[in-house]
Amino acid sequence: MSIIEVKDLEKVYKTSDKESGIIGYIKHLFHPKYKEFKAVKKVNFSIEEGELVGYIGENGAGKSTTIKMLTGLLTPTSGKVIVNGKVPYENRIENNKQIGAVFGQKTQLWWDLPVIESFRLIKKMYKIPENEYRKNLKKFSALLELDELLNKPVKNLSLGQKMRCEIAATFLHNPKIVYLDEPTIGLDVLVKERIRKFIKDINKEKNTTVILTTHDLKDIEEVCDRIILIDKGSIIYDGEKQTFKDTYGKQVLAQISIKNKNALITNETIEDEFEVIEETEDFLKIKFNHDKTTIMNVVNKISNFCEIVDMHVQEQGLEEILKEIYRGEVVC
Amino acid sequence: MTKIKDNISIYLSMLVCSIKSMMEYRVDFIVGIISQLLTQVVELIFIWIVFQNTESLAGWTFDKLLLLYGITMLTIAIVDFLFDSIYDIGPKYIKDGDFDKLLLRPIHPLISVMGDTKTFTAFGYMAISLVLIISMLIKLQINITFMLIAKIIIFAFSGALIIGAIMIAFSVTSFYTYKSNEIIWSVFRIYTFAQYPVEIYNKFIRILITFIFPFVFATYYPTLNYLGMENGWLMYLSPIVAIIFLIIAVKVWNWGLNRYRSTGN
Repeated sequence: MSIIEVKDLEKVYKTSDKESGIIGYIKHLFHPKYKEFKAVKKVNFSIEEGELVGYIGENGAGKSTTIKMLTGLLTPTSGKVIVNGKVPYENRIENNKQIGAVFGQKTQLWWDLPVIESFRLIKKMYKIPENEYRKNLKKFSALLELDELLNKPVKNLSLGQKMRCEIAATFLHNPKIVYLDEPTIGLDVLVKERIRKFIKDINKEKNTTVILTTHDLKDIEEVCDRIILIDKGSIIYDGEKQTFKDTYGKQVLAQISIKNKNALITNETIEDEFEVIEETEDFLKIKFNHDKTTIMNVVNKISNFCEIVDMHVQEQGLEEILKEIYRGEVVC
Repeated sequence: MTKIKDNISIYLSMLVCSIKSMMEYRVDFIVGIISQLLTQVVELIFIWIVFQNTESLAGWTFDKLLLLYGITMLTIAIVDFLFDSIYDIGPKYIKDGDFDKLLLRPIHPLISVMGDTKTFTAFGYMAISLVLIISMLIKLQINITFMLIAKIIIFAFSGALIIGAIMIAFSVTSFYTYKSNEIIWSVFRIYTFAQYPVEIYNKFIRILITFIFPFVFATYYPTLNYLGMENGWLMYLSPIVAIIFLIIAVKVWNWGLNRYRSTGN
């Protein structure tokens, strides 16, 4: 049995359909009219214990709504969610004991208290056994460098420091499943890297299942093995991250240093074998498609015009692929 | 039962932390207490002026009335301390989106709300009310026994729970409007009726503060009891009323929460 089972999950929001102006407002007060908006449509997936899943999509695609239903914050309109044998929205408090969650920049720590006091409250709340608490605190302090921060009030910490404490607080009770919504937003590169490494380490050690939603695709590139892509409320891709890149990332970008150019290299002269983005006397930037041509063909073609000094080939990253999908240039 | 025990235990730990963080705001703390003192002094002067023109109010002398006033104040101080953050549910937690955070904890969200309190004023209230109660007890030549002090404290808490339960029940409006604090406030203010003897009110107000918003159990009947007056035994119903109202309040609140979770906001 999978640790998370999602079956035909749907969420319909009712939004008030007000006419503009004060008259419309008063009308609405007496005869409220509502529009229905389907935020999540017949979503199905299952996640195995220990998986690192990136749940991605544009703003308004239905990401947060799904996560809210998985965590029991929201009751679905229809369909079912089972998380480790429990239905989160029917058994919220029981489910809360087995999960951890980080939502953007909202802190679960107590603002005026030293970090360690928040940790103690969390220990009590989740009934973490003393030795387990000590072990985790020691390990997390080392991995996230918390030693200096523990006795400072949360309000005195910088964003990055706060987030490191936040992540530690989330994993303190050894949750089986952790939902991370934008855990690295607004952080500098070093903190981001530390947090990513922490997530991977804990996953390896405790087999924690992690569901990550983020706009920073570097998070996904580095942490996740699997991608679930949601668009307009429906899932349009669910599978291995690498397969996703292989299937949709067909564009290759090449930066080539050249010399002894004997003719102008334009899209016409190369017969549309590839696309020229930038061209100077000693430099060439091109784009080509894996499906249409091979790198050998491209090299051969260019050699007709010049000598190749150096070549740097870059596969399309997750970010570029997703941009094309969102723009409708690539269809899943 | 263990669930309730766990919730109470974590609530007490959170309260301790809240008091610790109050100390972080020493200036607010002192200003809060002083402003509270001033408001109370003004109200007391008003009662004093009334009694310059009359010997008694519905059979109550000035001293007895002040005892009732002090008992009410003590009860309200406890309400302030324990339940003041109920006002925050709509305008603070739900409006700012912090409410989700509370829903993700393995304890009832009301415990989280109530455990995070910052009521500086409660201590000012408590101080004046204690001075008032003790001096009136001496003036009325009532024996200050350990039993009496225990009763005053226990029934002030019980009364506070009744008022708190009513506030919790009305805080269900937080799921519909951010302005819920004003609704709770207007219901809470009914307590001012219970600051004076019920005898001065007409039937409608008596029914209102006995059965619908039973503030009389919180302040009036206990005072009758301490004064050794008729109907003083009704004080002992106060804990029962408190428990019944608390159960109803939490049920209403849970119902509101479930509706809120199914509509989404």
